[in-house]
Amino acid sequence: MDLAYTPEQQAFRAEVRAWMEANVPREPLLTLECEQGYRQHVEWERKLASGNWGMVTWSEAYGGRGLDLIQWLIFEEEYYRAGAPLRANQNGIFLLGPTIMEFGTDEQKARFLTPMARGEVIWAQAWSEPNAGSDMAAITSKAIRDGDHYVITGQKTWSSRASFADWGFGLFRTDPDSKRHKGLSFILFDLNAPGVTRRPIRQLHGDPGFAELFFDEVRVPVANRIAGEGEGWNVAMATAGFERGLMLRSPARFQAAAARLVSLFRAHEAKASPAAREQVMQAWMDAQAYAYNTYAVASQIMAGGHIGAEASLNKIFWSELDRAMHRTAMQLLGAAAELRHLNDGGLNGWLEGYIFSLSGPIYAGSNEIQRNIIAERLLGLPR
Amino acid sequence: MDFTISDDQATLAQGVRDYLAGVHGPEVLRELDAEESRRSDAVWQGLVEMGLSGLLVPEAQGGLGLSLLDGVGIAIELGRAGVAEPIADTALVAAPLLVAAGGQDALLERIATGSAKIALQHPVNPWTADLDTASHVLSADSDALLLAERSGTARLLDSVDPLRRLFVPASAGGAAIGTSGALLDHAALIAAAQQIGIAEAMLAQATDYAKTRTQFGQPIGSFQAVKHHLASAAVKIAFARPVVQRAAVSLGEGAAHAAVHASHAKLAASDAAWATAETATQVHGAMGYTYEVDLHFWMKRAWALASAWGDRAFHLARIDAAVIGGTLPIGPGHSFA
Repeated sequence: MDLAYTPEQQAFRAEVRAWMEANVPREPLLTLECEQGYRQHVEWERKLASGNWGMVTWSEAYGGRGLDLIQWLIFEEEYYRAGAPLRANQNGIFLLGPTIMEFGTDEQKARFLTPMARGEVIWAQAWSEPNAGSDMAAITSKAIRDGDHYVITGQKTWSSRASFADWGFGLFRTDPDSKRHKGLSFILFDLNAPGVTRRPIRQLHGDPGFAELFFDEVRVPVANRIAGEGEGWNVAMATAGFERGLMLRSPARFQAAAARLVSLFRAHEAKASPAAREQVMQAWMDAQAYAYNTYAVASQIMAGGHIGAEASLNKIFWSELDRAMHRTAMQLLGAAAELRHLNDGGLNGWLEGYIFSLSGPIYAGSNEIQRNIIAERLLGLPR
Repeated sequence: MDFTISDDQATLAQGVRDYLAGVHGPEVLRELDAEESRRSDAVWQGLVEMGLSGLLVPEAQGGLGLSLLDGVGIAIELGRAGVAEPIADTALVAAPLLVAAGGQDALLERIATGSAKIALQHPVNPWTADLDTASHVLSADSDALLLAERSGTARLLDSVDPLRRLFVPASAGGAAIGTSGALLDHAALIAAAQQIGIAEAMLAQATDYAKTRTQFGQPIGSFQAVKHHLASAAVKIAFARPVVQRAAVSLGEGAAHAAVHASHAKLAASDAAWATAETATQVHGAMGYTYEVDLHFWMKRAWALASAWGDRAFHLARIDAAVIGGTLPIGPGHSFA
């Protein structure tokens, strides 16, 4: 164990810091969940790509820098330190990208990864259906083979980014007679293809962050299928592992929120309850614990290890930490907590953040499902 | 930057774990509970022969010369096995402090051979553990670390932990051999490490019980309510362990904010152990409320260590001064400040 950064790592941090200071927008962008804000965030993705910062861990052949996970953590720390915007393409770079890297053909890697890293194609996910939420194996949307194409019919819902994004990925039943986990395939599709209808869904904050997708005989080339026909479940499970595991929620995000919470507490200290004081300290401690654990997991992966069901421990910890931090902030704000815009005219970021934090324990596999996974796969309890 | 323990560290800890599982199972705790002294020369000698008394003693004084992080790995195993002998205080807290103080080679040699036992006394603790069998007392006043031979007798208190031997201390006195600050931080760290092992032991006991106890025709561990209790405990433990490891590195290096890291470790590990104790009791049902199930030995140790070497309020006050008071840099990029 050596908890000091090397001179090379320090130099890399300085390089990221300098670029972020020169390029991060001075004014906060509008929310990613409205159309104008989405466009601003896509513009930021392209700005990042212009500095070759789209996805630093990917190989240079696909628009990355070929860096290791410790360097990625340093990049993320500097990204959040600079207050840089949320990543419009997180479904692509953190979920689909690693999936294509592991299961895709060379042709698929060349076709999809570089435009993803460059922010030229923004991705939406399409997992859930009205009757397949936590029970994802209940998927019924069909993709029926017709020569070199699949013909997709069915419905997806809660599709993040789908209101505005360019492409989507999801699981479809390619064997119409199959049941449960069998007969599913992992397919990428153009959201602007004929037969795709998007119905934006207003989220808790009032903006359309996700959408329902209706497929009416949508023709998709067979070449857009990742891995073999009928192998979709295993591919999706790997993708879900990426989502719950290391990359989707980097510790810097929570360290930044904890530091802001400490500042908020100082500003409201005179009227804050003793309980709030303790919750603020707990937020800092838990954000640090999450950082230590992430460095530990990154170090283990770099030494040849891998993350399996342990990803579920992470997902529970960060999602419940995020909700607790924002709840504390709401309580510190007191009467101002309910205002969408504060007296100075600025957006009440703590309210927005609290609303968003309520989704954390639900998406990427609800925390109830995560606790089942921990109990069954890590502790060995019976199904 | 590398946040992994080495293969050697993992092998050492596993060796001690296997040894203790073989010679220091719950039946030994029950035997000790029936002994007036609550201590066993055979257990002590076994720990000495495993090399644990000399773990952090330099090789020149007959020890293994290992690091505080190695010591934390062993403290976790001592907690897991419910060891009550004063090996952690003597070998993992006193020894590195005596090394740092300098000029204590003769005593360090005696620690390595197992012929010296060091009781630790500090103003933060109203009581002193294992004072009656100690050869020496290492104590702290407001600024100095003091070393004295143990003399006289003290009144034995009645701890809920059946194997804990607590005494009302008199002023130990003795010669000043260094500054006092490190004693509390080291002892808090080693208590935190034991809490990790204690918590993992309780989680394992409750998980085993949930796999074998059947109701409604199936193991109770197949019910989601039981699964979710145990999974929540696993989450707390998983995120306390790296905090303890980080504090070990920080204290070992004498880092600027090591005291804050020690407090964080003590809070995280004690919270995890206390929560796991309640979970494990609940999962055991009425059996969990008895003296007949082994669980209570670990649960009571968890309560005791949670308030020894600085209780929750004490360590929160140190976090408060650093984080809210602003003496510690926080935020992204300060993971290792």
